[in-house]
Amino acid sequence: MTFRRVAPMQWCVLIVYALVAVKARAEEPKPTPENTIHVQLAEPVKPQTFSRPLKFFLVDVVDRSGSAQPMMVFRRRGGIFLDHTPSEITRAGLETCLKSADMLAKDRDSADFLLTLYLFNFGLSESSGMDFFGKVEFAVMLKNPKTAKSQQIAASGTSIAGAAVRKKNVQKNVQEDIERAFGDALRNLLRGMKLRDAVAALDVPADLSGAPAQPAATATPTAIEKPHQPIE
Amino acid sequence: MKGITLLALAVFLVWTTPAVAKDPQPQFKSVEAKHFPRAEGVELSPAFSDYLYAELRAELTKAKLFGQVIGEDEVVDAADAPKSLVIVGTITEFKKGSVVKDALIGFGAGMRSLKVDANAARRSDQQNLTAIHVHVKVSPRWNEKVMARFAAKNIVKQLKDSLKSEAKAAS
Repeated sequence: MTFRRVAPMQWCVLIVYALVAVKARAEEPKPTPENTIHVQLAEPVKPQTFSRPLKFFLVDVVDRSGSAQPMMVFRRRGGIFLDHTPSEITRAGLETCLKSADMLAKDRDSADFLLTLYLFNFGLSESSGMDFFGKVEFAVMLKNPKTAKSQQIAASGTSIAGAAVRKKNVQKNVQEDIERAFGDALRNLLRGMKLRDAVAALDVPADLSGAPAQPAATATPTAIEKPHQPIE
Repeated sequence: MKGITLLALAVFLVWTTPAVAKDPQPQFKSVEAKHFPRAEGVELSPAFSDYLYAELRAELTKAKLFGQVIGEDEVVDAADAPKSLVIVGTITEFKKGSVVKDALIGFGAGMRSLKVDANAARRSDQQNLTAIHVHVKVSPRWNEKVMARFAAKNIVKQLKDSLKSEAKAAS
């Protein structure tokens, strides 16, 4: 008798677990045209001017966020997704800024400096719950192809946007927040003193390259990986 | 009845016109907020400093005292430096608080608290224009980032008051 009573109970528990698991799987947000946002710079960031006209070439953008779903920026309420990968958005944004100031080289041979960008964070970060906290973080390896010397420059951008109740407004605020943080990060890079100092240190005439002019990092990037978690 | 409505409308217009006409000229061309480092012994998450920085920038933008809120370590023209401010500060104290004390005793006991000291200096000559001391207390049940929000609001409010009183004294 006892055996008959316990066995159905175990089966019930198993079925409930299975149903919960199936429900949780069904709630995993999927990208649709309604919950997908397009992130781009409102206007290109004007880079700082250097002592001589310089041309940069963006070699590669490497996503080091470690995120399994880099395009999902917000998990709750059906999720919010980016229409392109963070790497593509970053590449487009940086190239637009350089192009607007006529500082983008056509190919790597004609460039004064080569840029390799390592993206650590692109999207939302954990906030107080009363607002959205947009954060874009990356490091750029600036390399002088003539001397083969390079330096790493870190840049980050943050933005705060108000929370919203309606899903449409949540999506709008998240989009604006990420766009502002992205613009801020590019501004931090292109108008920052770190870039100015790195260019000043690396921009030496080719014939002097043999002399130990400035201490410079090797071309090998640091293997820093910052895990990116979408906001629950 | 119609006359009263018209009169009320006229009074409202007269009352609000100066406010609309008054276009506050930013006192400073730009302001730069730096990340606030933690003093020794302050145990806060690394993300807290980033969040405080972001909130501070958001509040500075809202204050409309400055033409532009620029990013950290951004290049500024030498000509603009006398009209540019730099805000530096330190998180001097953080007390985690106690939920038990808050529930059993109440009246402010067991509250989570944060102390921040900041200085606003003119970029050109590094002259300190104002010193800011902020002490924020919140419930220990709340997220620590709520404190960052309140601290940023307090910093900007004190800065605004100080700059306004300085401007009044100068005029």
